[in-house]
Amino acid sequence: MRWERLKYSDKFWAAILLAPNFIGFLVFILFPMIASFFLSFTEWDLLTDIKWIGFGNYQELASDETFWKVLWNTLYYTLGTVPPGIILSLILAVALNQPIRGVKTYRALYFLPVISSSVAVAVVWQWLYNPEFGLLNYILSLFGIEGPLWLTSTTWAMPAVIITSIWKNLGFNMLLFLAGLQGIPDTYYEAAEIDGANGFAKFRYITLPLLSPTTFFVVVMSIISSFQAFDLVHVMTQGGPARSTSVLVHYLYQNAFQYFRMGYASAIAYVLFFLVFIVTMIQLKRHDTWVVY
Amino acid sequence: METDSVRRGLERFMEMNPHIKVEYTPVPGDEYHTRLLTLMAGNAAPDVFFINAEGYYRQFVERGVLLQIDEYFYKSLSLEDFIEMDQRKMLVDGHIYGSSSCVVAPVLYYNKALFDEAGIPYPSADPTEALTWDEFIAIAKKLTKSKGRITQFGAYGFENMHPREATIYSNNGLIFSEDYAKTVLNDEAQQALQKILELRTVHKVSPPAAFLEQSGMNAAQMLQTGRVAMVADGSWALQELAKMNFDVGVAPLPIMKRPVTTGTAHLHSIWAGTKHPEEAWKLVEFLSSEEYQIGLVREGLWMPNRTSLYTPEGITKWLNPDVHPEGFEKLASYFTEYLEPNPALFVPRRAWDIFEEELDKFFFDDQPIETIVSNAKRRIDPILAGQ
Amino acid sequence: MKRVRIETILAYLILTLGAATMVLPFLWMVSTSLKSLSEVFVFPPTFFGERIVWQNYLRISERYPFGQFFLNSIKISAVVVFFQVFTSSMAGFAFARLKFPGRESLFALYLATLMVPFHVTLVPTFVLMRFFGWIDTHYSLILPSLVTAFGTFLMRQFFLTIPVELEEAARIDGCTPFGIYARIFLPLSKPALATLAIFTFMGTWNDYIRPLVFINSISKMTVPLGLASMQGSYSTDWPVLMAGTVISLAPVLIAFLLAQEFFVQGITLTGLKG
Repeated sequence: MRWERLKYSDKFWAAILLAPNFIGFLVFILFPMIASFFLSFTEWDLLTDIKWIGFGNYQELASDETFWKVLWNTLYYTLGTVPPGIILSLILAVALNQPIRGVKTYRALYFLPVISSSVAVAVVWQWLYNPEFGLLNYILSLFGIEGPLWLTSTTWAMPAVIITSIWKNLGFNMLLFLAGLQGIPDTYYEAAEIDGANGFAKFRYITLPLLSPTTFFVVVMSIISSFQAFDLVHVMTQGGPARSTSVLVHYLYQNAFQYFRMGYASAIAYVLFFLVFIVTMIQLKRHDTWVVY
Repeated sequence: METDSVRRGLERFMEMNPHIKVEYTPVPGDEYHTRLLTLMAGNAAPDVFFINAEGYYRQFVERGVLLQIDEYFYKSLSLEDFIEMDQRKMLVDGHIYGSSSCVVAPVLYYNKALFDEAGIPYPSADPTEALTWDEFIAIAKKLTKSKGRITQFGAYGFENMHPREATIYSNNGLIFSEDYAKTVLNDEAQQALQKILELRTVHKVSPPAAFLEQSGMNAAQMLQTGRVAMVADGSWALQELAKMNFDVGVAPLPIMKRPVTTGTAHLHSIWAGTKHPEEAWKLVEFLSSEEYQIGLVREGLWMPNRTSLYTPEGITKWLNPDVHPEGFEKLASYFTEYLEPNPALFVPRRAWDIFEEELDKFFFDDQPIETIVSNAKRRIDPILAGQ
Repeated sequence: MKRVRIETILAYLILTLGAATMVLPFLWMVSTSLKSLSEVFVFPPTFFGERIVWQNYLRISERYPFGQFFLNSIKISAVVVFFQVFTSSMAGFAFARLKFPGRESLFALYLATLMVPFHVTLVPTFVLMRFFGWIDTHYSLILPSLVTAFGTFLMRQFFLTIPVELEEAARIDGCTPFGIYARIFLPLSKPALATLAIFTFMGTWNDYIRPLVFINSISKMTVPLGLASMQGSYSTDWPVLMAGTVISLAPVLIAFLLAQEFFVQGITLTGLKG
């Protein structure tokens, strides 16, 4: 019988098992990606006819001061969040990896911001950053520091968003580092102790190299996700003041859904893709030299 | 809250027109127009909707999604029924695509107790007797108090949209050319902006830019708590102020060269894709009727846009002693004779966002006015030209 | 002879300081939500108001149907999680263990899309939703999220680690490829399925930009969007705003504390995969 043969066929089952996934992949992943690429060569407001303008959007991007500002802000945000975020979460993970009590409690507390929605986090921090009645400037005043105006200052708004973002993601990265640390066999440390290595030397010559795969993963993921920042900015500052916190995705959103420029927004989306692509490529290339086993 | 008043109005409309059913969907938040676009693009827009005059009405007209209602409009109404500013708000190239229910414009609010305490007479509500800018600064100085740090500021609000444009116009300044094809920001405009900045930097009668707003208070709360003695804010604040237990006074904005205020407000438009234009117009007509607007005007949220409501007899229909401070009727002429549309009504949102961004740099970042003007021109003019 | 190591003391110090930083904003949120507006505007700030103002919670829940927001979020997340685990594991199995022509190149295509940020697809997806007439419906939040390249990739990688011998033995016993998937691979991959489920759940539950773009009516909003729209209307009424935030966070935080182990293990697994 046909069914008898079919039911042992890899090809048949591959088709069946892949079908739902592949249809979704085609319609909601591949098609939009390609469509977005084509849209980036058009001018379209969704309401009137679509117009092909070749490289017009990309030319406009090149001379759009707002775009360069936004691109710079995105890099600023990335540089501001990734290195401090990684260092802090590594320190916490190392501390948590000591023989101490209450590991679970600490872990849970550090994880609270991670599972909170970024909208809620943004609303709460907006209130914390309140220059006059907020908790943050009050705490600073206890140390004799006059806190800045935070979200209404063109200088401090971005650092404020960055601090919130680091706070929110610290627990997540810490957990990844912790898992990495726990994967390092004790024997290495014991051997080092016999050789008379001190705490820092052990960290420098054993922990860091052996942790490099985790570090690599965390760095790449953090960079890519910071390129795509949106929620905190949109809720906390709407990109202001004077566009000092507007990042790529925020400008993309504005162009698409406030200025009704779908083509231009798609061009911005492709710039974003290009950035992520470069980072991925660099990391793939450097993977071998960086990750030390 | 606006929604409750609107709901009551709509219930009244359905009683009058039993064959028309109105489903009211309030959309909260700043994203209203995004959602409207979404619905229109999705061919699922409501027949009648609220649309902001600034940044959107003209943009939507340009895209052909609003029904041109000249025919309906002139059948039962005439342009002269509306105050002049509102005519300019509704007309796009001589045609009407939306009918308006009200106007709103900035005025000067003050806390009477603080004036009494300082022994200063209240400013007049009559626009022809408005304070000059210098008089205003002198009063503001007397009303600024400090105990080590400043605990009570004389004035607030001129750096914000609306009072800011009104002050520029009052100095005969121009932001855009008459046809809105170019950024002008002439010397008078620059001078006005400089004087606004000096309230804070030179005269020290105003709090740091947006400081109080960031403190989590709005203008009404600042006035109520006595942190600020005079606040320039929209006429809509009357509604909230009326609910706070303190004596508030209202006056025209201080003048530089001439009394003027700049108005805005929403319109009600009909979707070009509607299947029920007749019924839709009935609703729009009701929403711009005297009957409907009086309700909201009496709550202090709106000001009337019908000329008939500014006659001595008309004023009595809406003047509400619980909401409108004593002597408010003297201020009525402010909305008929001294009201001009805010320039934001006539330029795309994208251009206005850049204007705001550049002014932020002026007020927050100490950038010189010359830089701001040349940046604004360079960045905004291509957008205006591309219209 | 046990001596207290300096590292241990230092660890406690760092961890406690950090934990305080993590928790303080939440406490401040709860504290503000129980104050009256006038007590919020005092300097220096206090942690406890004169009396507890529960009315803030009543006021916000009268105006904003948080119950509805939760139902919407639960419904959307549950459907998305279920189908994503379902489609990802099936496709992951096919990629990992079934032989068919074009397997490598198809998988490479999936991998390539992993690099493309989601935002690139936002505008076309919007156009697509409009085409299907799904704007302002939950379909627009559910259907485009049912399949992800990440989920497929994760499941494939996990299935690759399952020993071939198990599969071969089953084949000899006359098990069909589907039987191998359903009866051997699925039960063995509970940790990976849990990981995928947790990530999908957190991503869907907390998603902001998609509901922002696709949903209009209050009755269809998810928790984060409802919260954001509330923020738009109560911009200066901090106690009410904080009460709304507490309502939006409490169920998730409680659920997390109850199922902490499950969450932590799930997340740790992906880290190691990377």
